[in-house]
Amino acid sequence: MGRNETAHASAEDVGGETEEFDPIGTLTLIAIYFAILVVSWVYIYYIEFLGRDLVIVG
Amino acid sequence: MHIHAYEKLWLAASVLLILFLLGSVTYGAVGPGVAMVSDSEPAIDAGALDEDDRFSEPRVEQVGENEYAAYVVARQFGFQPDPIVVPANSTVTFYVTSADVIHGFEVAGTNANTMVVPGEVSEITVETDGPAEYGIVCNEYCGAAHHAMEGKLEVVSQSAYEERASGGDGE
Repeated sequence: MGRNETAHASAEDVGGETEEFDPIGTLTLIAIYFAILVVSWVYIYYIEFLGRDLVIVG
Repeated sequence: MHIHAYEKLWLAASVLLILFLLGSVTYGAVGPGVAMVSDSEPAIDAGALDEDDRFSEPRVEQVGENEYAAYVVARQFGFQPDPIVVPANSTVTFYVTSADVIHGFEVAGTNANTMVVPGEVSEITVETDGPAEYGIVCNEYCGAAHHAMEGKLEVVSQSAYEERASGGDGE
């Protein structure tokens, strides 16, 4: 148990192209969060805020 | 130092996200011209609004070609004038002040929204579109009848506005 990156960082891993540790789940989760952020921002700013009447211009 | 490929990926993505947020706000300011509520008006005596040129008689007046100024007084518990009538497709600057305590001036469902502080004049400029009718609410707790403090903003066509302005104050 206790598999970690350092323990397995052998000589071949240093500067190698292949990654020993691939947190694909974390990457996917972050990609989903990212998409939610972008979509919410577009909705909140461009549609809800700028789309309303009487935008204050001065 | 070895940086994992995924870490590079999400660092780059977060920098892009920040640039996108900043870019949006910049676009808002440059494109549609979104501005903040102005602090440019000098302070006035809230106790002597009846001697003030602009606020002794709350009204809407034409100040330029297709530009109008609305002088609005908020007091416990209402807004004057009521209704505020402005022409469609024009530029309207609201000068709002309070005769007593802190109020809010929010044209419901729109971006026109400011605090109204006694002794200060809140200035907001908006561009009206077609004829419409909006409610105005006070959004700062101002006393026992705060919940009943409301007004009305009527955006009417140019011809209807002129008719009202010249012909009849009589409804």
